[in-house]
Amino acid sequence: MTPAVIPSYVLLTLKIFSIVGLLIYAVFAGVLVRQEQLMAHVLEEQFQPIIRALVIAHLIATVVLLLLAIILL
Amino acid sequence: MSPLTAFAVNPTSLRFETQEDTEKVILFLRQHFIVNVPWILGTILLVIAPTVIFPRLFHALSLNMAFPTSYYVVGTMFWYLATFGFALASFIGWFFNIYIVTNERIVDIDFFYLLYKKFSEAELTKIQDINYTSGGLLAAVFNFGNVVVETAGEAPNIDFELIPFPEKVVETIRELTERGEGGSV
Repeated sequence: MTPAVIPSYVLLTLKIFSIVGLLIYAVFAGVLVRQEQLMAHVLEEQFQPIIRALVIAHLIATVVLLLLAIILL
Repeated sequence: MSPLTAFAVNPTSLRFETQEDTEKVILFLRQHFIVNVPWILGTILLVIAPTVIFPRLFHALSLNMAFPTSYYVVGTMFWYLATFGFALASFIGWFFNIYIVTNERIVDIDFFYLLYKKFSEAELTKIQDINYTSGGLLAAVFNFGNVVVETAGEAPNIDFELIPFPEKVVETIRELTERGEGGSV
């Protein structure tokens, strides 16, 4: 059985929703970075740099994925 | 002190907001690591979902639509990114919620949903009463419980929730107050 062909307007709608969703997620990733900075100000501990690196890497990965979605989808 | 430390006596390389130069941290506490088990299990489930659960789900629903490959690529990458974000936010929420006992006061720093911060403190001289509760199978096996510190006047009570070795925390605070540094405990 051959798979059903998806209309182009459905794909376009899906692309728009995907990009909007990724934008919202990027805001969350940015908030995570900001909150980690504030929390690090409250508690200075030796594991801090690793957590900072993780939240920043998460934000960068989100931005890269957003760009990928705009280009690939 | 490791990143998973939930109970530390006289910790070094640690400093908190408003700590004074002469103030020394006696006890550093977080909630027992077992409170992280639910989100860890959830993360494991999310990680295995695309490879184990989704193919079975799509087969069961008889979905016969072929999306372009790019949608599968971006979708899968977003899934794992969101899983990582969920795990990271959950870990940070546990990591930065701390309870501290110093030679001058006790401090409770809470972060709610990453966005709200609550900083509570009580001087040792203001402590009126201190007690702990520990109930249930898990609490008995892993030795964690709640410590309630009642303070004088209008200062709010301080609750140390789900901390390891609550009896040691009570004993330490009692010793600090009885040592003549203040309090009526």
